[in-house]
Amino acid sequence: MSALVEIRNVHKVYKRDSFDVPVLNGVSVSVPRGDFLALMGPSGSGKTTLLNLIAGIDRPTKGQVIVDGKEISAFNETRLATWRAAHVGFIFQMYNLIPVLNAFENVELPLLLTHLKKRERREHVHAALSIVGLPDRMSHYPRQLSGGQEQRVAIARAIATDPTILVADEPTGDLDAKSAHEILDLLQMLNAEHQKTIIMVTHDPKAADRARHVLHLDKGVLVESGEDARAMAGDAER
Amino acid sequence: MKFGKLILRNLFRNKLRTFLTLVLMAAIFFFVATLLSILANFETASNSGAGQNRLCVQSAISLANPLPLAHEQEIREIEGVVDVAKLQWFGAYYKEPNNFFANFAVDHDKMTSVWNDYAIPKDQLEAYMADRTGAIVGPELVKRWGWKIGDRVTLTSTIYPFNPTLTIRGVYKHSFDTSSFFFHFDYFHEATKEMTGSTVGTFWARVKNSQDMSRISGEIDAKFKNSQYPTETFTEKEFQQQFMAMIGNIKLLFTTVSICAILMVVLLAAITMSMAARERVTEIAVLKAIGFSRGTILTLMLIEFVTLGLFGGALGTFGAKAVHASVNMTEITQGFLVGFGVNTETVLTCLIAAIVVGFLAGGLPAVRSAQLSVVDGLRKVW
Repeated sequence: MSALVEIRNVHKVYKRDSFDVPVLNGVSVSVPRGDFLALMGPSGSGKTTLLNLIAGIDRPTKGQVIVDGKEISAFNETRLATWRAAHVGFIFQMYNLIPVLNAFENVELPLLLTHLKKRERREHVHAALSIVGLPDRMSHYPRQLSGGQEQRVAIARAIATDPTILVADEPTGDLDAKSAHEILDLLQMLNAEHQKTIIMVTHDPKAADRARHVLHLDKGVLVESGEDARAMAGDAER
Repeated sequence: MKFGKLILRNLFRNKLRTFLTLVLMAAIFFFVATLLSILANFETASNSGAGQNRLCVQSAISLANPLPLAHEQEIREIEGVVDVAKLQWFGAYYKEPNNFFANFAVDHDKMTSVWNDYAIPKDQLEAYMADRTGAIVGPELVKRWGWKIGDRVTLTSTIYPFNPTLTIRGVYKHSFDTSSFFFHFDYFHEATKEMTGSTVGTFWARVKNSQDMSRISGEIDAKFKNSQYPTETFTEKEFQQQFMAMIGNIKLLFTTVSICAILMVVLLAAITMSMAARERVTEIAVLKAIGFSRGTILTLMLIEFVTLGLFGGALGTFGAKAVHASVNMTEITQGFLVGFGVNTETVLTCLIAAIVVGFLAGGLPAVRSAQLSVVDGLRKVW
């Protein structure tokens, strides 16, 4: 598989008042197209920061982030927003649907940024909600859905634009075991059947087991000496 | 507009807050529309003499200083003057001191030559001319007191020791003045001669051509410049404006109060809109994460806030228009406001002000939301 995401010697330092807080210290990772990668590590290890950099909602202090051949770390804010709309699907721990919009309208949101006509948008929304198994909940508002259903709608929103990459931060962190299992099944299905590249941050080893590869971070560096880490870091350095 | 649904839903996401904001804005714009309408009414009043070929001659010292009756003939002799009439402010009330309205002693035989813009039925005019104690009144006074032709009314003057009982002989029609009371100057003069001597408050001269008004007013003032009673001559519009100015700088006062009220609503709406934006920080971060640009977020929020401002402003302004159209302000203000209503110009001014309020109040929260860092906003989410 060719590399979709290449992280090259990335450093990230946050400013907190007058202090510099280093979060990532020279991380290099290569994520192949069609991969399902789990990022694990303790709190403060930098896994969410790494996810943010890959998703284009943050920029590295040093180093390069290349996604699908484009160095997004060099993009300005406007270009990044346009790039995210076309290439990234977000799945949040708390679902983060817009409470005043129903399931259909929430899934339609990213499509409003495209040039699709109303009819085409409707087709995309129907397809996305069918994939996540909620074609009959289109007119339901978030408050009328269970946590698992909300996360399914959020996944439908993430895949509605057919993005290059799906990023998920603790997608099962707020769900019961059964719902979490179903969401992980869904992510696996999206990866296996729809060839979606998925990068997921998780604390849950059971969730990580569903991924094709697992990387461990600690104090801003890749620490796992397993096959995955060695192989993926090596790919990036090459 | 494809974002219309999102804007509308956000606008009404907290119904109580939206309702209270709308009520607040509506109340303030009702107040502002009313104040601006009063100002507009004053403007109309001061412009009501425009277009009339009439000059007012008053004492150069002040309106309160009388002029000798002998001036009348000298004014009439000036070329271009069609006729001259005496007019004396009587300053009386009917029954109670707060039943106040404009009342004047005028040359009764000059109603058709000098004040020919007052339409009086022929038989009523003849009856008025024939009766020294007759009076001609405006339709608003008739409506207000339930008077009818033939009724005898007693006026109590606050200036002169003369409280005449007058018979209503006619009701005039006029494009703007609907609540004046006219009676015979001869009758007034005879009764107050000992106090007033041979003087009158003002002379009103009708001129043949409006182009000559400037020349004639100059000639009148020049004629009496070195006399014991110098004059100052105005067009009717200038006279009305001078009269309005005597009330005080109402325009400045009302404008200042209106601006203060609008500033108050800007501040209050800004607080509300800031709260609305603040509670949506994570949602805005999510929208930005999925690709909404700063410009789109800024536009969406500004449209939302401006819509709220415009809706509140429209509610108050059209509310004021409806209320003032349905109540008789002339009666309520005892003739102070005649023909009162909220005109189109005031409506447009208020609606533009409401849009500005929306921009000012919503501008800062909208800009802050648009500039929100996705990572900072999502810190609460991830």
